[in-house]
Amino acid sequence: MTAALRRVAETLLVLLVLSVLTFLLTSLAPGDPAEEILRRGGIQPTAESVAVLRGELGLDQPLFSQYLQWTLGVLRGDFGRSNVDRAPVAAEILSRVPATLRLAGTASLIAVGLAVLVSVRAALRPRALDSRIAKVATVAIAAVPPYISGILLISVFAIGLRALPTGGDGSPGAVILPALTLGLAGTATLLRLLRADLAAAARQPFVKLAVAKGLTARRTIVVHMLRVAAPGAITAAGVVLTELLAGAVIVETLFAWPGVGQLAVAAIRQRDIPMVQAYVLLTALATVLVLTLADLCVSAADPRARR
Amino acid sequence: MNRSRRGLRFPVLMRTCGGIRPRAMAVLGAVLLAALVACGGRGDAGQEAGRLTLAAPRDLAAGPEDPYFTHRTLRVWEPLVTLDDRMRPAPALATGWEHSDGGRRWTFTLRGGVRFSDGTPLTAEAVVVNIERFRRIAPRPSAFFSLDAGMEAAYGKLTGVRAEGGKVVFILAEPVADLPARLADFYSMIQAPSAFKADGDFAGKPVGTGPYTLVSWSKDRQVELAANPGYWGGKPAFDKIVVKTIPDANARVAALRAGEVAGLIDKGALLPGQVAAVAADGRFRITRSPSVLTHYLTFNASRKPFADPRLREAVDLAIDRESIADKLLAGTATPGSPFLSPIFGALSDPGVRTAHDPARARELVGAAGRPAEPVSILISSSETGQFPYADIAEVLRAGLEEVGLPARVNVVEATKAVMEAGDYDIFLSAYSVPNGDPDYLFRRFLRSDAAWNHDRNLGYRSDVFDRLIDRAAATGAVAERRELYHEVQRLLAADRPMIPLAYQDNPVAMSTSVTGLAQNPLYLVDLAKLAPSR
Repeated sequence: MTAALRRVAETLLVLLVLSVLTFLLTSLAPGDPAEEILRRGGIQPTAESVAVLRGELGLDQPLFSQYLQWTLGVLRGDFGRSNVDRAPVAAEILSRVPATLRLAGTASLIAVGLAVLVSVRAALRPRALDSRIAKVATVAIAAVPPYISGILLISVFAIGLRALPTGGDGSPGAVILPALTLGLAGTATLLRLLRADLAAAARQPFVKLAVAKGLTARRTIVVHMLRVAAPGAITAAGVVLTELLAGAVIVETLFAWPGVGQLAVAAIRQRDIPMVQAYVLLTALATVLVLTLADLCVSAADPRARR
Repeated sequence: MNRSRRGLRFPVLMRTCGGIRPRAMAVLGAVLLAALVACGGRGDAGQEAGRLTLAAPRDLAAGPEDPYFTHRTLRVWEPLVTLDDRMRPAPALATGWEHSDGGRRWTFTLRGGVRFSDGTPLTAEAVVVNIERFRRIAPRPSAFFSLDAGMEAAYGKLTGVRAEGGKVVFILAEPVADLPARLADFYSMIQAPSAFKADGDFAGKPVGTGPYTLVSWSKDRQVELAANPGYWGGKPAFDKIVVKTIPDANARVAALRAGEVAGLIDKGALLPGQVAAVAADGRFRITRSPSVLTHYLTFNASRKPFADPRLREAVDLAIDRESIADKLLAGTATPGSPFLSPIFGALSDPGVRTAHDPARARELVGAAGRPAEPVSILISSSETGQFPYADIAEVLRAGLEEVGLPARVNVVEATKAVMEAGDYDIFLSAYSVPNGDPDYLFRRFLRSDAAWNHDRNLGYRSDVFDRLIDRAAATGAVAERRELYHEVQRLLAADRPMIPLAYQDNPVAMSTSVTGLAQNPLYLVDLAKLAPSR
């Protein structure tokens, strides 16, 4: 129990430090948001209008009191209003979360599924042609930046075959291409770890015993070896999932996927500081949560980790 | 040992069992592919009977917190005054206007028989409500067109606006010669008073007088419009128009080529580098129309070396504007000469011509003396994504070095801070004039007391220039105003505080199955004019 409490305290400390950094980094970034806003509206701003807008946005307050106000707001779940269209930031982000989770969820299913399939196949028949091709292909595709592989997928499946939409989430099939783009990027990391872990598991005496007892290869791998490899794989999956959440920024923009990442890109482009701050803080929170969750899963799956 | 190192170490296992068969993998792959193709089977969704789907780089509706909610392009609301394609004020909801009291009193006559989409009639009182709302809520950020503080940019020194005998009267403390031009489009948006809450926010959807009404809108995804059956100008050809938001330039073109959308509209619909490829595809037509956007070079003349006018002239002569417009901007721009682009019509002075004369430039550098340090060409990293500024800056650098001016390119995020610190020599950036009024450009950029001129260290001080633009702003006589602005442009061509590099077009694309694509200089595509081609 004390371990859990310590974990919570650590998480809170991390979040506090993150909030300070997030606030400072985005607030101290060069450029004046008030002037940017007025200029984007097609107006070459006067000193007066910049001053008035700075006052309205609270940018004329001392930095510390800006931070204090922001933090108090965040604790109440209020991330302020967008500098661009004055919409409440928290509501904007919340409305985007389901789309991002759907994309990241499908992508991690693809990443985990492909990695397990290919690595188990490779463990069974390492020298078979198909497992070699699959291995090389997965790594090669995953090594291409998501932006490029996304464009390739669009060219083939959307423009060439006209099988899937190029973007948006108007139809059920729309998630396939962005999820594939994102998922392939995660596959390589997982695949490498899983292969190494399976190889290590194969050297364990009890696996040799299981084989000697006449267990089928499939059963040996799925029941015994995967179980041994699981802790490493779960940790890796956690890391990959956080990478997917971060990587969603590019893929969501490319596929016009209405998730949090696309919102963040637009916010950065328009210097919408309250939005960027909320995005960075929430992404950090999500990362901390996912990694904590992965640790909990590991200790559930592996009794040794609980000691 | 040597064998097992390559695979896992249980040869017994491998011999006893085949595991997943290779064929199974192939079958699985085939099934997946078939499923993909089967769940597609879609035709061209871009255009069905009475329905048109387009894409734009940004969301053209911005939500109830925005002062306008929908962009003018969507034609949900209409302004009192709009601009024609020569940037001259043209009638919209106001059919005419006249001024008296030396330009201190402006009277606008409203179009008769116009109703808002909620059925209420357009009245002078409704117009007053809109103008007063703007004055009350400014400054207000917007995704489209910010409302400035004080609103002087829009209405001059406005003391009152009222309805008199069915007409709208603006009363000003000081004369304004060009009030209709200043009001054009966003500053004179008119919606039904019922559209707004007491605090000036939208109560629900926008309620305008335009040919389309807003049916639904999901932020950053799409806007759905329906034809307004009661439109005073007749019902448009498409019953329904959907405008999708696709921020990524490559994804936009992909959607066009996949037939998901029939056209790409709005500012930056196609990057200059994409135009040739899309134009080569017979299914689409590209419309390039001149825009208000002009690329300028701004000099830091408050320090050496460009405090010396001979070196500013040398830079002007060293630039190969033709090749920048044709090659780097891929023909989407034309070389710049007078300060005002041809889009300003008669106000642009055709007599101002720029030359590319490296030999003369070299002489000037020789006479003025070669600077000790390389000159810095400043560009903004946020603009390099829209235009090939990095390449243009390199070409400029090469051109300057050729005439004996060593240069370096400086790409930064916060150009404002760098310019205010005075740490630059030449700044490359694009500017537009949102209301087509040259006074906007001259007064805010180059007047001796202009904040831009002052804060950015342009160092331009000219009493002659100040007097000329003040006179032009106050005169209502068209010919006199034109002559004054021509004089201003000749002065700027000689003084060179800023020099126009190229006038940028805005290319938009449309399927050949749709006709009526027209774009005004402010990137507005008139959706009501689009129709299926027969």
